Amino acid sequence: MSALAAGVEASAPVRISAGDRPIREVNREIRAAVDAGRDIEVHDPLSRHNLGVALTGPGLVTFKGSVGYYCGGLSDGGRIVVEGNSGWGTGEGLASGHITVNGNAGMSVGAAMRGGTIHIRGHAGPRCGVAQKDGLIAVEGDIGYSTGFMSHGGRIVCLGNSRGSVGDSLWRGTVWVAGEIETLGIDAVVVTPDQSEVDEVEAQLGALGIDGSGRDWKQIVAGKKLWYFEARDAKKWLMI
Amino acid sequence: MADDLKSEPVFIADENLVTFGDGAVEGRPAGVPSSYAEGKSPRWTREVIADIHAKSQLGRYQLRGFSTFQKNLPSFDELVFQPATMTRLPLEGYRERCETRTVLGDGFGLVENPVELDIPIYIASMSFGALSANAKAALGRGAKKAGTMTCTGEGGMLEEERAENRTLLYQLSPARYMIDLDHIRRADAVEIVVGQGAKPGTGGLLLGMKVSERVARMRNLPQGVDQRSTSRHPDFLGADDMTIKIEELREATDHKVPIFVKMGATRPYYDTAVAAKTGADVIVVDGLEGGTGASPELLLDNTGVPTLASIPAARRALDDTGMSGKVKLVAAGGIRSGVDVAKALALGADCVMIGSAAMISLGCNSPRYVEDYTAIGTEPGACHHCHTGRCPVGVATQDELLSSRVDVEAASERVYRFLTAMTMEATLLAKACGKSSVHNLEPEDLRALTLEASAFTGISLVGADRPFTW
Repeated sequence: MSALAAGVEASAPVRISAGDRPIREVNREIRAAVDAGRDIEVHDPLSRHNLGVALTGPGLVTFKGSVGYYCGGLSDGGRIVVEGNSGWGTGEGLASGHITVNGNAGMSVGAAMRGGTIHIRGHAGPRCGVAQKDGLIAVEGDIGYSTGFMSHGGRIVCLGNSRGSVGDSLWRGTVWVAGEIETLGIDAVVVTPDQSEVDEVEAQLGALGIDGSGRDWKQIVAGKKLWYFEARDAKKWLMI
Repeated sequence: MADDLKSEPVFIADENLVTFGDGAVEGRPAGVPSSYAEGKSPRWTREVIADIHAKSQLGRYQLRGFSTFQKNLPSFDELVFQPATMTRLPLEGYRERCETRTVLGDGFGLVENPVELDIPIYIASMSFGALSANAKAALGRGAKKAGTMTCTGEGGMLEEERAENRTLLYQLSPARYMIDLDHIRRADAVEIVVGQGAKPGTGGLLLGMKVSERVARMRNLPQGVDQRSTSRHPDFLGADDMTIKIEELREATDHKVPIFVKMGATRPYYDTAVAAKTGADVIVVDGLEGGTGASPELLLDNTGVPTLASIPAARRALDDTGMSGKVKLVAAGGIRSGVDVAKALALGADCVMIGSAAMISLGCNSPRYVEDYTAIGTEPGACHHCHTGRCPVGVATQDELLSSRVDVEAASERVYRFLTAMTMEATLLAKACGKSSVHNLEPEDLRALTLEASAFTGISLVGADRPFTW
């Protein structure tokens, strides 16, 4: 609040420092700026946890360094740019908004997210998009094991390689991998996507400034063997 | 050698006497029907045989709702109160006041708006999905009348229940259905679910017949497909991560509301000690007797620690870690009456949560629409068919016609009266024990009737006036 009140010119980004200040104080300043549609630069994020949690509003917050767990978590709006790496649960529970991580991201990127976009320029850790409900996760590097685990919806797009058990127990979400797939998860199957879907994905990537054309897209979807729990499916179900 | 044992009989009794005379059938003794004719095998009981036949047909384990049928559980009935006599002074049970106000989340002094309840009982997390919208609304209205709260369950926040509740606890379950920032901010408390007493270590289960269009929309699931929720949270693994998660929730709620952690009782001493480190304001320990909308039957009967055993263990953990008073303890699982409430409080709980009992007061198992009970193979008073979605009284269903059988106002009145009756029962016992607040009930007010109950609760054995130890 102090930085806002300091009479900084409305068009210039608000500049604050996180350092070792209470996270509650830092977040209040971030929220006030983002709510007001102001851009804000957070210096010295020092990989602190819970930065930029629960944002609403149109503003842009730029973290000038790495952030810890749950950056942008539970947000319903806001735009975040992390100029370093991010910890676990980046953008978890995101309902709307846009998060860009210029470096790598830890485990569970976009866990249970319901909308919005998360863009990881580096690699993403395991369980990326776990329990995702909707929205887009785009990873320019590789993705870790169990990407898309029990995802209910939405799309995860990986331009690099995928580690093991990708698309395990999917409900409705899809995982797109351009590179190699180490192993598929339970009930995950690879299908060749329709051209219209490829165009859609490439358009989504294009909007993020990524050239997705000419890739060897593998689309991973639910085999739907785990969908029903009835007598006739008992044997299929028991393969877990 | 064997030949040495041979001896000639000196007298052979008359065969009629050996077979008890009249009524003897050839090859079978007369009189009391034989054990093999009556199916009295303690191992291969009728239930076991039926279970094997069912599984042979289904090719899977059996599922059902409600709660455990386990026969060997210790019960609150194994404890009795020792009211004031010569060494303590009772309060006037029908006249004097006994405080029932219960505050949760004030322990650390960090939460802006702790949960303040008029009674030491609140209504457990039963999701929209497991229960009908009408039932959720009625529970909310009844709880509001009684000055207490209900919990959303894992299906997200229903507008009807937000409107009806004075105080609403919002649940963050591992599956994270419809976790919405606006809902979190409209909640009066937020609960991280680690597990539940009915089936600890397992995620929720909602069979396809209850995944209606509205439930499916709220949970972002395909309609009519069985929902088997995750058992692990997607974005944290252990207690140290949970600490950060709790901080995130505090940030999202601007430190206004308490954060609860709910777990099934499995290792209540150690789990409570660990949970108390996470920074949570309230720990809910849900015992084995806890109910559920649907579960593999074997989990209901064979997993967890009974409520009676879990409360003293959890309290001991809070005492040993110096967290008593800072972190509040809610006990749950099979609480049936104000007597159970008083016993739970005396054993160390700060508050009690009821699920099945509240549902029954709504109208579950009431003798109406008997033909619909018959249609699903059961009868009023013995129905545990929540999993089928065909609840004859409209409580545990998503069927529109059945749901409409819950008259929200009438049902809420029953819930209110039941909560009031429970509270009266608890205060009557507290006053007899000389307590001006139900929260002053203490282990010394109790005696155990059985060695087992005494051994694991640490309550003095009746007559011996000291706990049974080994």
